[in-house]
Amino acid sequence: MASPQTSAQVPVTVLTGYLGAGKTTLLNRILSEQHGKKYAVIVNEFGELGVDNDLVVNADEEVFEMNNGCICCTVRGDLIRIIEGLMKRKDKFDGILVETTGLADPGPVAQTFFTDDDVKARTRLDAIVTVIDAKHFFGQLEQGSEAEQQVAFADVILLNKTDLVSPEELKKVEDRIRGINRYARIHHTEKSRIELDAILDKGAFDLGRILEFEPDFLHSGHDHNHEDEVRSLSITADRPVDPDKFQKWMGALLQIKGGDIFRSKGILAIDGAPRRYVYQGVHMMMDSDWGTPWKDGEKRSSKLVFIGRNLDGDNLQRGFEECLK
Amino acid sequence: MKIDLANPAWQQTLPPARSLATDAPVAACAFNRDGSTVAFALGDGCVRLLPADIQQAAPEAAAPLHTGVALSLVGDPAGDGFVSGGDDGRVLRLAADGTATELLAQKGKWIEHLVAHRTGAVAASAGKSMFLFRDGEVREFGPHPSTVAGLDFSKDGSRVACAHYGGITVWSLSKEVVLPPRRFAWQGSHVALRWSTDGKFIATGTQENDIHVWRVAQATDMRMQGYPAKVKSLSWTADARFLYTSSQPVFTAWPFSGKGPEGKPPLQFGDEGAGLMTVVAAHPTAEFVAGGYDSGELQLGDIRTKRSVVLKMADGSPITCLAWSPDGFKLAVGNDRGDLLTIDLRR
Repeated sequence: MASPQTSAQVPVTVLTGYLGAGKTTLLNRILSEQHGKKYAVIVNEFGELGVDNDLVVNADEEVFEMNNGCICCTVRGDLIRIIEGLMKRKDKFDGILVETTGLADPGPVAQTFFTDDDVKARTRLDAIVTVIDAKHFFGQLEQGSEAEQQVAFADVILLNKTDLVSPEELKKVEDRIRGINRYARIHHTEKSRIELDAILDKGAFDLGRILEFEPDFLHSGHDHNHEDEVRSLSITADRPVDPDKFQKWMGALLQIKGGDIFRSKGILAIDGAPRRYVYQGVHMMMDSDWGTPWKDGEKRSSKLVFIGRNLDGDNLQRGFEECLK
Repeated sequence: MKIDLANPAWQQTLPPARSLATDAPVAACAFNRDGSTVAFALGDGCVRLLPADIQQAAPEAAAPLHTGVALSLVGDPAGDGFVSGGDDGRVLRLAADGTATELLAQKGKWIEHLVAHRTGAVAASAGKSMFLFRDGEVREFGPHPSTVAGLDFSKDGSRVACAHYGGITVWSLSKEVVLPPRRFAWQGSHVALRWSTDGKFIATGTQENDIHVWRVAQATDMRMQGYPAKVKSLSWTADARFLYTSSQPVFTAWPFSGKGPEGKPPLQFGDEGAGLMTVVAAHPTAEFVAGGYDSGELQLGDIRTKRSVVLKMADGSPITCLAWSPDGFKLAVGNDRGDLLTIDLRR
């Protein structure tokens, strides 16, 4: 009798957002609503949730540096331990939700899924969901880098408490979010009310679903904001990519700039290859694979996406062009 | 203990065993003090007590003792039963008939590790603290810099070492002479810990797939590398001459007699198993060792002859725990899909 968990990886959704944005309200909804699914929830403040459930696990965020010489390689030690423990349960569950503290950097939690073999074997990072308080977002941006980072890492954004702001204010907030991260899906919500399939099982870190997840993915664009701000940019090319040159360039780029690059993704038309080459990364960590084949007569273009701080679009474009045939 | 692995009988037939199927992953297994009962801690919160005599019928399962997973289990060093820990934050003392008494309740914490000492003391990890149970008393030690990820008693039971992020902490348990804890630092996260059976060394497995070993008296340390995965199972031989480590395809023992293992390769022996070893358990008295694999295979090795035999074939379910009976004639084995195996090695 093989358990379903050992044959399939359990999806993990990371829930970030500033203090008071509505994460707890959202979790309470997920735990109390009738949807026929069972989720294990890892929270950082026990007792805040109104639901008493033995699948709610209390975690102190324990951010560990990996002792491997890579300075930005940090992982969540508590998560590694808790996932291992959850897998010992007889009662199976459909997914795991990880709530981070309001001031948390989503980097370590995401990197845990790239780094730890046991975690990788049994779970997969599904998506990073960020809840934003529409009324207080601008104030939170001024208080430190956390709010900005949480937007930068997001695959899905719940722009929450829309009932507390005017349509004009809401537009300003949404424009600012788009300035940081133009690739995340934004949902407007009140009291964190949202259909669960809008935030769960999104496959945002699934290499096979890179195209499917981002409708805008193939539209390129450069924003011209200040360089020290977090922003997203994309680079495209129509000539085929030389794989060796690309690997060298990307390796060096992540070595030097990995700390500033929060998320990166790409689809490459490798010279002579019948299939797309897809990759995605968090800081210096990267995952890559061969994707779907190019169709006959299809235009073979490549596209890279970066979300990060201090991104020099022209420099990146020049660097990538050097990798083309 | 007479086992001759070169004897054709060991090569050709599997030893007699009792296997009981449950539907919850086995987190831990142990024998009681006199070796008459074997127990398995399960992922449904049950602790299943079975007669160690494999000819005897297994009694019906009792109701779960823990509300989530029974994560940890040891034979009670001060009684005929066991001590169990769960992800419900409780430590329970179980009598031989299975009736439970609560020793500790820490809501929101997981009791992931329990160790016992023959003097009657039991230590448990609960979040960032270590709890000591001795002579009807409960004492808390900590907090440590992070959640305690492994612990063990010293040879004489006077100290407990705890593994955590950034190194290990050794607590002196004496109430008469109160000594400050000793911290042995090594950066990174330590995920398993075993104190050598002669008391001289403390070994840990790290998040970076290394082994770290400290000489307790000198506070010097050494690092052993080259593992393809985290080493979560460590086991010292009864004579403390070797430290067995998991996460290799064969038995892997670091020599600690003489000048120690520095600059030497480990002793590796036995037939290559299917997959990587997940759990390793040195025999309590003789020079044998049991190793369970992530494929479900189980091997018995003999360090003198460098031979090994298969005790259980691979079946796809990783072995999660092993325990020897005190006399070393029986071996308890648990796996990820819930098989409770007791093997009788007397032939």
